[in-house]
Parts: sequence; C-alpha cells; structure tokens
Amino acid sequence: MKRGGVIWSWFWMILGILYFFLPLLATFIFSLKAVKDVYSFKAYANVFSDPAFQLRFPASILWSVLTIIAAILIFVPTAYWVRLKVPKIRPVVELITLLPFVVPAIVYVFGLVRTYSQPPLLIVNSPGLLVAGYTVLSMPYMYRAIDTGLRAIDVQTLTEAAQSLGAGWGTIMFRVIFPNVRVSILSGAFLSFAIVMGEYTLAQYLAKPAFAPYIALLIQNKAYEPAAATIISFALIWACMGIIQVIGGEEQGGQIAGGH
Amino acid sequence: MKHLTLKNISKEYGGTTVVQDFNLEIEQGEFVSFLGPSGCGKTTTLRMVAGFEIPTTGSITINGTEITNNPPNQRNVGMIFQAYALFPNMTVAQNIGFGLKIRKEAETLIKERVDEMLALISLEKHANKFPYQLSGGQQQRVALARALANRPQVLLLDEPLSALDAKIRVSLRSEIRAIQKKMGITAIFVTHDQEEALSISDRIVVMYEGKVEQVGTPFQVYNFPETNFVANFVGTLNSAEAEVVDPAKGLLTMDGIQFQTSQDEMKGRSKGERIRMSIRPERLSFASELKKDNVLESVIENITFLGSVVRIQVRVGNTRFNMDTFNNPFLELPKIGAKEQVTCSKEAVMVYSGSSTMEAKEKAPNGS
Repeated sequence: MKRGGVIWSWFWMILGILYFFLPLLATFIFSLKAVKDVYSFKAYANVFSDPAFQLRFPASILWSVLTIIAAILIFVPTAYWVRLKVPKIRPVVELITLLPFVVPAIVYVFGLVRTYSQPPLLIVNSPGLLVAGYTVLSMPYMYRAIDTGLRAIDVQTLTEAAQSLGAGWGTIMFRVIFPNVRVSILSGAFLSFAIVMGEYTLAQYLAKPAFAPYIALLIQNKAYEPAAATIISFALIWACMGIIQVIGGEEQGGQIAGGH
Repeated sequence: MKHLTLKNISKEYGGTTVVQDFNLEIEQGEFVSFLGPSGCGKTTTLRMVAGFEIPTTGSITINGTEITNNPPNQRNVGMIFQAYALFPNMTVAQNIGFGLKIRKEAETLIKERVDEMLALISLEKHANKFPYQLSGGQQQRVALARALANRPQVLLLDEPLSALDAKIRVSLRSEIRAIQKKMGITAIFVTHDQEEALSISDRIVVMYEGKVEQVGTPFQVYNFPETNFVANFVGTLNSAEAEVVDPAKGLLTMDGIQFQTSQDEMKGRSKGERIRMSIRPERLSFASELKKDNVLESVIENITFLGSVVRIQVRVGNTRFNMDTFNNPFLELPKIGAKEQVTCSKEAVMVYSGSSTMEAKEKAPNGS
C-alpha cells in the first residue's frame, strides 16, 4: 500500500475511535464526579445499593438467560432442519430472521399487547410473553450465528453417519450437532444477552422489571447515576464480547478445521 | 438363503426414474462393487440399502428379514462416506466407540472394541487425536473402524477413496479389502473408477441410466462384456461400425476390410446387418511376432508412453485403433508413419448391436 493510503487509513481509524470513545470517556469521567471536586465511585455505589437496581438488574439477567435457552432450543433445530431437509427455503427463512430489524419494537410490542390481552390467549401479564418477545428480537443474531456454524460442518453427511451408527434424532442433535456449533451458539447467546440487557421497549410496555427502563428512570431523576449505570451496562456487554473472543479463539481450530 | 437381497428395486423422484428394476443377491462375506458413470443410480441404490432413501417399489432383505422401510438407525448397516464424516468434536477413539455408546454397551466392551479396531487400522498411537489432526487416508481408516466397531451386517462404502491421492487410494483399497476379508463382512462398494472396482471386488454390478447392465466377476466383466456400454466403460476399447458379411463363418467387414470373429459372436445376426465391432487394445499385436486370424495392414500414427504399457495408435483403413504392448527397456518401437501389419485372434473381435456406442446396449442373443 502507498504511504499516503496508510496515513489515510490511520486517520479514518483514529477518527472513528475518537467518535466512539470520546462520548464514552466523557460519560465515564462524568460518572466519577458525584462528589464535588473529587473523582470517586460514589455514583456506582449508589446504583449498586439502589433496591430498584437490585430488583431490575438480576431480572434482566434472568430474562436474558431464559431468552438464550428458548432461542437455542428453537433456532438450532430449525436451522439444522432447514439445512438438512429443506435447503431451498433457506433464503425465505433468512428473510424472516431479519424481520426484527424491519419491524420497529414499538409496533411489535403493541402487536403483542393487542393479540395477547384478550381471550383465548390472555397472557399479556405472563413473563413468558416477555421472554417470547425477546426470543424473537434475538432471532437475527442467534439464527444467523447458528446457521454460519452449521455451514462449517457437513450437516447431511454427519447426520447420515450418526444414523448409520444407530443414532436417533435426539442423539444426533445433542451429541453431534450441538457440540459442533457450540462456538456459534455461544456467539449468538452473548449477542442475545447484550440485546436483552439493553432492550427498553418490550419491558417497559409489558410492565416487567428490567435494566434498560431502570436507566431511563434514573435519567429522569438523577445526575451521575445514569452515567454510572450506562458504564456498567457497557462493561457487561464488553465482558460478553471478550468471552466470545476467548472461547471462539480456543475452539476455532477444533471446530473449523474439523468441519468439511 | 442369500445374505442381502434387492428385489425389483425402483426409485423415482418426481416422475424421473433413477433406478429401474434392480435385482441382486449377495452372499455372506462377498465384496460387490457398483460401477458406473455419474448419475447411473449406483449411489441411490446404496442409499436405499442404508435406509437414507426408500425404494418406490421393491424390497430389501438382510438375512431373510425385510428392512425396506426401516429407518437407517435400525438396520445395523455400516456406512463409509467419501467425505469421511468423522465427528469433529470427538477424538479418534470416541468416534470409533460412538455406535457402541449409542447401543449402551458396557464401558469395558467399548474400550476393548475400540482398541481392537485401532489395532486393525494401525492407528493405536492416534487414539486421542481429533480428526483434523489426521491425514485424509488416516481419517478414512478411522471411518472404516467406526463403521466396523458396531459389527454391522453389511458394510456400505460410498466412493470412499475418491478424495484421496492416487498412491494412498491404491494402498487403502487393499487395506479395506484385507480387513473386509478378515472380518468376513458383506460389503457393497460404490465407485466410478473401473480399476478400483476390478481390483477389489468379488463381483461387479455395472450400471447405466438406472439399470443393471451386467453382473459378474471382474474377469467376466472385463473379458466378456455383455453390452456395448460395459465393453466401452470397463477398460479401453477400439470400437468401429461394421457390417455382417457371413454370420455362419463369422465374417464381417469394416470399411471394406474383412474381419474374422467367432461364430458364437455372430449367432442371430443376419447378412448386411449394421453392427458395432470392438477390440481391446491389448488383444492387438504386430504380425511380425505371430500371425493370428486377422492380419491388418496399418500405418503407425502415434506412440504414447504410459509407464508399464506403451500405447501405439495405428490407422486401419479409415479407422484409428489403439494397440497396447508391455514396456521393456529393449522394446523396439516402429517409426511414426511406418507401415506395419497388426493382428488379433477372432475371439478378440466382439460384436454388439447398433451403430452408436452409447445407444446400442443390447447384446446379440446367445453372444459371449
């Protein structure tokens, strides 16, 4: 590459980093100024000791975990079956998985409320509806991650090999398919975790305790604590990303090289 | 009672018949190859035995028990795939023991069987490696051990050597055959490679366009092909249009050049009938060595060195024939353009109906 090209590459990269990190740095510095003229973690202590945080933060973690479990149980068999039995409809399924990007969350949540607030399916107050809603929102990340993982292995031949050795569908799914797309499932799971932790609309309109509405509430009533909560949220998401990288890096050799 | 029987098997996909009226009986411990070009239905037939496809009509029985509609996991049929299909998340030992674990066999038996299989394929030192740490040949040997660990009633091999390089292919096919003989297991081997089929099989089923063209030993299939397709597909063949002159005397003519064939080959033919005449390259030789029934004037057109064999292209009338002769360091080869007499016995001249190579598949009645 020419010297001029290298300089411009660095210029745009540094500009991008500044654009992303400056507001974050400002937020972090602001979050440390809860005590006048002193940098302290007082705002963080306030957030962690807040009963509302203690209720809503674990609640969001619970919704995330339930969402991930539901998504794995629905999307892994679906992606597997589509690849194995009906590969022709893959483009259609991929399009469906993108719908959460197209339909605004507010439209989606009103659809859920209208549909499930009247008989025969009066479940609008059930936490199950929130988890189901989150599962749909996680679909683009989860399904596509799993589908990418399945692409790295010869699904049909591995299935037939397992069948010829006496395996039924359950064994094939849990002992052949799941272990071979584990990294992809983890990637999708952590992305889904991050999405659910930061999701505001569904929890707010379905009136369930969650972390994102808590931050919104803090913004209305406090000065430094919303900044602290935002940094906590970022730290959590980055930790998830870091775990994806570590696990992905460790397992990539085995999974990818072993596939066909 | 035969070990494996395929009776009147047909398979259709959306109105297209890919296997038609397939009948075969296989003895216990026999090694049978399905040989044919791509799309001839050999893999589909194998997959019907495995249970991955269900026949449209017909029945499949193993040891007298019908398994036609049984799912693949209830057939006790081992399968080896071209793409190895080892489970990437499992070690070599875990791959081999997978089927036994599914059967919930005792851990001691599993360990014993895995060790036995590892010894059989000489990969004891690789037991704890993952498939990606092995070469292609080693992976295929593990796949073989995995399929055999379950003690299947039938072993199916779907072009298992196609992805390997030439040297490993030759050594592994011998190894597969030796292990199959040692274990006395019935095996079906699918290949489009005639040399592979000829070298490894007890019998060969030659298929074309979903139909069985010929079933026979490698010797029969090569030396006495029953159809024009088999003659052309198995081995190299000189083939030319000709006309029957005198069926009783076994005489025919090609471009005005007279050929003598055996009377058996001409049974049921009539004078003036257009036929296809075929001669294997190795059945032709220079007449200077020994004159046989047919002595033909020819011109040397090309000489190709193939290692153990030298292929000499000669022109007889307007037709080019290949003639194969064994190589030796003192072989005296003619010059290109030289006129030489070539010769062959009357038994070397095979006769088939029709005037086109692939269209004409029906052999004359009572032929060889």
